[in-house]
Amino acid sequence: MQLDFSAREVTVKLVYYGPALSGKTTNLVSLHERAGDEARGRLMTLETKNDRTLFFDLLPLTFKSETGDVRLRIKLFTVPGQPVHAATRKLVLQGADGVALIADSRLTETENNAASFVDLRDNLKANGNDISRMPPVIQFNKRDLPDIRSDGELEQMATRGRELVYLGVAKDGVGVLETFIGLLQLTWLTLDKVHDLGRKLRVSGDALLASAAMQLGATESVETILGQRLGGQLAPVVTDALPTSSARGATSGGRS
Amino acid sequence: MSRFQSQSGEGAPDRESGTELGATPLLEEVLQIGQVRELAASLRKLSGLSVLVRSSSGATLLDSSDDGSLDQAVPADASESIVERPSGTSFLVTPIMYDHDVIGRIAVGPVAGDGDAAASSAPRLGVEQARAHLDHFRLSLDLILHSAQRAHFASTMHLAAIEESYSELLLKNTALEAAHTRLKEIDHLKTSFLATVSHELRTPLTSIIGYSEMLSEGMVGPLTGEQLEYVQTIRNKGDELLRLILSLLDLSKLESGTLQMRPLAIPIEAVLEDAVSTLAPAAAKKGVRLRYVSGAGAEPLRADPDRLRQVFVNLTENAVKFTPKGGEVTLQAREVDALAPAEPGVILLAPVRRELEVRVADTGIGIPPHERARIFDPFYQVDQSSTREHSGAGLGLAIVKRIVLAHQGRIRIESNEPHGSVFIVTLPIVGAPASARPRPPDP
Repeated sequence: MQLDFSAREVTVKLVYYGPALSGKTTNLVSLHERAGDEARGRLMTLETKNDRTLFFDLLPLTFKSETGDVRLRIKLFTVPGQPVHAATRKLVLQGADGVALIADSRLTETENNAASFVDLRDNLKANGNDISRMPPVIQFNKRDLPDIRSDGELEQMATRGRELVYLGVAKDGVGVLETFIGLLQLTWLTLDKVHDLGRKLRVSGDALLASAAMQLGATESVETILGQRLGGQLAPVVTDALPTSSARGATSGGRS
Repeated sequence: MSRFQSQSGEGAPDRESGTELGATPLLEEVLQIGQVRELAASLRKLSGLSVLVRSSSGATLLDSSDDGSLDQAVPADASESIVERPSGTSFLVTPIMYDHDVIGRIAVGPVAGDGDAAASSAPRLGVEQARAHLDHFRLSLDLILHSAQRAHFASTMHLAAIEESYSELLLKNTALEAAHTRLKEIDHLKTSFLATVSHELRTPLTSIIGYSEMLSEGMVGPLTGEQLEYVQTIRNKGDELLRLILSLLDLSKLESGTLQMRPLAIPIEAVLEDAVSTLAPAAAKKGVRLRYVSGAGAEPLRADPDRLRQVFVNLTENAVKFTPKGGEVTLQAREVDALAPAEPGVILLAPVRRELEVRVADTGIGIPPHERARIFDPFYQVDQSSTREHSGAGLGLAIVKRIVLAHQGRIRIESNEPHGSVFIVTLPIVGAPASARPRPPDP
């Protein structure tokens, strides 16, 4: 997170994690299509061909508050899911403020989903963070395919964990906005709790989220969008020890 | 550091190392063609001119004419500024420069040639105007290339830095590997020392046991009652010593991680039934009820059958040993979900993290909570007095724990209310992929 008081601007880094071919980039493309001209930046794919391949997508989004004087800039990254890109995943995850895990609903992918979660947990730890301080928002994508984990099972399991869980068909844009808004809300609540953003910028988080949803073409209310989740707790994640990256970000006001 | 030296100006750029400093990259590597497409579309709207962008590699990166006609019309090697076609249409061509190297060409058209104005009904720009548009387009492209060049340079530096630290790491790795090899040699020496010692201990012991057996069986003549009693004591103590040596050997192999495990897919029922039938005579003799309660059909485990049998025979033997007459020892297995209720990622992890829990419960003297951690230490006995009731070297549970750990399992002790203990062994189920199995409904 970067806070620029003079420009009244917050920059938040969000990462879409998940196993290979689960639909992370499809989510980004769908968001890019939804976003109005004012909000969306250029969707960039970076791929360096070297012995240490760096490979990721970046979608910058900028949301203005209703009055237009506060800007919420989102740097939305995807990581490559293939095991070979471990270095990229770790690098991209550095300094992330929130993570969504895009899982493939098919039964055959159950183990890859779990492996990706474990990889996320390990990489957060390696970056000095902790999964308990950054619970991922989970999207079960590809709900239109056969042989998937059942709605009933997911609903039941979703009530057990604290992660927000959404269902999606990203290629048709289903669940994409819900997942993003859920992640944005959770991240804002946490950053606001830790850094008191709302008071410092004199802006209401709810209003900012509502205007972000509007700029992404939402026709329903934020309440309705947030209500689409299967389970999980939509409350700030605050533990005794602050994530070091955010603590560092807080003192770096002025950078943009 | 030869790779930092500029290669441009010395003949053909090295295409193999396109990302290295000084080398001229291909146009398609540095240009984000999406941006150029937007630029070409806006030029089309403004002036009606189509644009062709072609890399020096020969690849056509962009042709904004509707039907690809520009690509066909402009020859691959076109370098002069005006290309005139026999049909009368003309195209303007200009090179794209990168660090003084030509890395591609831009062509725009069609423009009105000398004999063209009458031939075509569509209004076309004259050469002068088209030239101005082409220059503007090239300037815009130059700006895009400039920022691409900067990014390219930055990432090349970044990668070079990574390569540097990578080679440093390689050096350190080599040193570490050498140290590791040396440690492995020392470890190997230790293991062969142990094997030798145990062999040297066992050989004379086998003779002691063998000869006392022959004596007690009267092979060299009858023994008096007292003689027989002494010889049988020698034999029993010899057997005891042999078991102790074998246990010590097992323990040292488990500690050093050199004990060979041969994992197979085995049903836990078979292992537990085997343990129960092995100890049934001892339990019956003592008046202890021993039974295996068959649970819901659990998945096969991947484990070493002999070692797993050793674990449960040992636990059952202990349970029988410490349970008084009239008591009961029960073995029970069930599949459990390995996650704590609040563990992160439960929705993703639960289907693949299932475990088998085996409970060996007795109604014996029990183990005080403060002893429970130490009971797995080698040679540790809860009753340390010299006159203790129960025999044994205190190696059994130490071996059990290490075998369980070697199977990525856990072991813990709980109280069996109102009296007695439960040894709970948890082993991961890592057999068939979880995804291939239907998930049983949660209770």
